[in-house]
Amino acid sequence: MILAAAMNPEAFSGAQDAIDRMRRGDPDAFAAMISRYQHRLYRYLLRLVREPAAADDLFQQTWLRVMEKIGRYDARRNFESWLFSVAHNLAIDSWRGRRGESLDDSKDSGEPPPGSRLQSVHPDALERLLDFERGAVLAACMHELPAIHREVLTLRFEEDMKLEEIAEVAGVPLSTVKSRLRRALEGLRAAMDARSPGSIGRKGA
Amino acid sequence: MSEHESHEASHQVMAGMLALAAAGALDIQQQRRLEEHARECPACRREMEIWSGYSQGLRRLPQPPIPAQLMERTRTRLVQERAAAADRRWDELMLGALALFAWTVGLTFWFVARIVTGGELVVMGANLVRLGTWTAGSTVLVWMTAAVAAIALGRRRRELRRVL
Repeated sequence: MILAAAMNPEAFSGAQDAIDRMRRGDPDAFAAMISRYQHRLYRYLLRLVREPAAADDLFQQTWLRVMEKIGRYDARRNFESWLFSVAHNLAIDSWRGRRGESLDDSKDSGEPPPGSRLQSVHPDALERLLDFERGAVLAACMHELPAIHREVLTLRFEEDMKLEEIAEVAGVPLSTVKSRLRRALEGLRAAMDARSPGSIGRKGA
Repeated sequence: MSEHESHEASHQVMAGMLALAAAGALDIQQQRRLEEHARECPACRREMEIWSGYSQGLRRLPQPPIPAQLMERTRTRLVQERAAAADRRWDELMLGALALFAWTVGLTFWFVARIVTGGELVVMGANLVRLGTWTAGSTVLVWMTAAVAAIALGRRRRELRRVL
């Protein structure tokens, strides 16, 4: 996704133009950027905090913070990494505000797993149903992981971010990203095996 | 170390890299070593397939629905915050401008008072036209006046915006 944008000069210059206009306080530029990132940013926040209402509020707060800080944004930085790091920091602050919860908390929030209500697209109906079921189980297992593991998985696999970009978003060294990624995948596999042994890899997911 | 033990040690190292390989988190050399090992090791080949399934599954997770009117609500909140920030800036500016104006008026009156009174206007034992006394008195008066005026003007401005 990022690579595609980077390889598409028109998309890149369009984004750069929107960022320049945001610096000048152009509301249309903000609207364009919110529209552009709304699915990805909301999905990231929902994977991170698990509660739709909290993700909704953090989404809005993120754009308020962007409006406040866009004047200090270094144009040499990747805007997406910067945007997601703003959202990450706000999520951390929100966690700190809640007593007894931390970023590596793995307790179930009681909410249904994010994304378990919508199917992914597939041409064949039966395969789509199986795909959806496997995806829903995978999402449910991911939902049980600690937040730092959910975060690294969504950034790597759904946002297709490079490890360096993930490190920038999470504000941790590259080695920490790798170790989190490994633990997250192993935790996910353990959860999947506990729930439905061999459901991934052996059925051609 | 025997050849078998050496192979087993190598296998353990490679097996530990399989999850990261699925995440595309190995460097080129590590990836090449792992692929070479997997060609000779059916267990690791099988594990690679399983991890590849996880990688694909994670890229195709069901997508969450966007809450109703999220974009519109966000835009509205941005507009409100921008207006509130503009109001704060305007209040600060007005407070400064009114304070400056009041100070200028206070200083002018001090000159006039000194000329009219000949430099002495004693009330309850204090010479009011002495620079120190006049400055202290006018400072309190100036800031109170400026603050009240800025608040009143700010309120009027916000009311006008609501009406418009």
